Amino acid sequence: MTSSSVVAPDTAARRKRGAPLSERTFLTFLLLPGVVLLCAIVLYPLIRSLVSAFFDESLLYPGMTFVGLDNILAVLTDDFGRLVQQTLIFTVGATVAPFLIGLALALVLNQRFPGQRFLRGAFLIPWLIPGVVVSFLWMWIFDANYGVLNGMLITLGAIDSPVAWLFQTDTARAALIIAKTWNTFPWIMVMMLAALQTVPGELHEAASMDGAGTIRRFFAVTWPHIRGVAGLVILLEFIWNFQHFDTIFVLTGGGPAGTTSTFATEVYDTAFKGYDLGHAGALGILWMALLTVLVVLYVWLSERGEKGARR
Amino acid sequence: MSTIAPAPPVLTSEDAAPPITRRRRGRIRWGMWISLAVIALFGFAPVYWLLVTSLTPTNLVFTFPPTLFPREISFDHYATVLGNPLIFGYLRNSVIVSVITAVLAVAVSMYMGYAFSKYRFAGRKSLMYFVLSSQMFPQALLLVTLYLVFAQFGLLNTYLALILSFTTFTLPLCVWMLKGFFDALPDDLIEAARIDGAGPWRIFHSIVFPLAAPGLVAAGLFAFVRGWNDFIFALTLAGPDRQTLPPGLVNTFISEASTSWPALMAASLIVSVPVCVAFILLQRYLVGGITAGAVKG
Repeated sequence: MTSSSVVAPDTAARRKRGAPLSERTFLTFLLLPGVVLLCAIVLYPLIRSLVSAFFDESLLYPGMTFVGLDNILAVLTDDFGRLVQQTLIFTVGATVAPFLIGLALALVLNQRFPGQRFLRGAFLIPWLIPGVVVSFLWMWIFDANYGVLNGMLITLGAIDSPVAWLFQTDTARAALIIAKTWNTFPWIMVMMLAALQTVPGELHEAASMDGAGTIRRFFAVTWPHIRGVAGLVILLEFIWNFQHFDTIFVLTGGGPAGTTSTFATEVYDTAFKGYDLGHAGALGILWMALLTVLVVLYVWLSERGEKGARR
Repeated sequence: MSTIAPAPPVLTSEDAAPPITRRRRGRIRWGMWISLAVIALFGFAPVYWLLVTSLTPTNLVFTFPPTLFPREISFDHYATVLGNPLIFGYLRNSVIVSVITAVLAVAVSMYMGYAFSKYRFAGRKSLMYFVLSSQMFPQALLLVTLYLVFAQFGLLNTYLALILSFTTFTLPLCVWMLKGFFDALPDDLIEAARIDGAGPWRIFHSIVFPLAAPGLVAAGLFAFVRGWNDFIFALTLAGPDRQTLPPGLVNTFISEASTSWPALMAASLIVSVPVCVAFILLQRYLVGGITAGAVKG
């Protein structure tokens, strides 16, 4: 940043007139607060926690002892496979389900019918509700003793006795995905509606003149236009879900017996309940390594998307 | 649930494909309505249940199976929540933290967004990617060390800890939203002011700033909602005196023994209101801002 040369649109003219010095000071002033904050609150803690992976460090006592790769090896031999699997189950489920629902809804709401504008707004409610409230609400719906889900299923005769949804391995996973799906699908709907605006109507007409059916037209006309946004939406959701914390923490706390824990809840528990910062750091390093792959993919895709848009 | 539309009759050959008949169009319509109804049930039933529970008298909440339509309506739980002094403390903390976060986030991100939009300098691209990618770092991991850092500087149990973290985590999106706004301002305007002899500070504060006001408001509301909604940072970094509503509600209403569901639902609705209001004010910019923040490099 210090070596920056200020090159505004009309470079040559202004250089002659001088004043680049004040421009440079100004530019530094523009960027400095943000850079300082990002370094202090994001970059430094990130590096610090990755460093602690190589030390024996605890929240309970001061000081740190270098242990090399011990922490990382311990994680790799211990919970790594299980955590990757559980994190992926949640991430994939909580990405695919809301994507399909959000896309279907966007396709419907992209049609013109009475009440369509109102519905577009109303469907955003699940997304607007604060994350913790989403968790409370679904906790109550899934409640073993008085939950409305059990009540409905028993009334309908689908089950005989109440099910403790959040306390059984399989149902707890599904419950988390359902709650997160409910919270996410409106955002995907918004993004896909925005993408659908870019599909030219004439193309659809031409295709149906040629006799293409709905599904045919979707894949031949609509999908190529929305594919870019769809890809980015899926990738972003994937990255966010990969590190999602709130819903899991409140609804199951990683239980029953650790079967719904992910990297996010495990790092939190290791640090704040087990007080083992070295172990948490080691988990973090491996987690970050997996995430980096995703982020690189994201940057690459968005760069490609921008180039495509400019063309 | 993922039904997009019902399958049309399989075409035997492309040439033989008939134009869309009225019957087929009718069937597509039906498929559309059915998918809409199913998704609407999934989307709205939980909200309905939230509302109904918050209005159900305590003695009727714990009947099983629950009744879908309330037999009796009571506002007792809202009175309980609003009469709880603890909740008011959390509410005050939430307001203080979210408002200051919003102001600070706008101040920092407007300068940064302006620099990215109107200046070309060495390292611009890498810095932009750093800002953008910082929203990808796992916050649960950052939290662990932020806790240590804040402890070191004696910032635990202060508003500052929350404000600094929320402000920083909203920067990527706010910077991107505002960069988009500044991109839309014509360079000629700035150039004209420059020729008239205005310095860069003057140009920004008396010409660019007022023109970008709608974008600044939008970014501010976004940051406000981020601060208002956060759970994990407030839970960990703010001590009991500085806790905001989301962790505060957990502490107040959820316990191993018994959870006061109707009161919790009432409190949940109260917490959700400011977010919904912020959104209604924000929605004009929302799609553009999100799309830009997510999609553009």
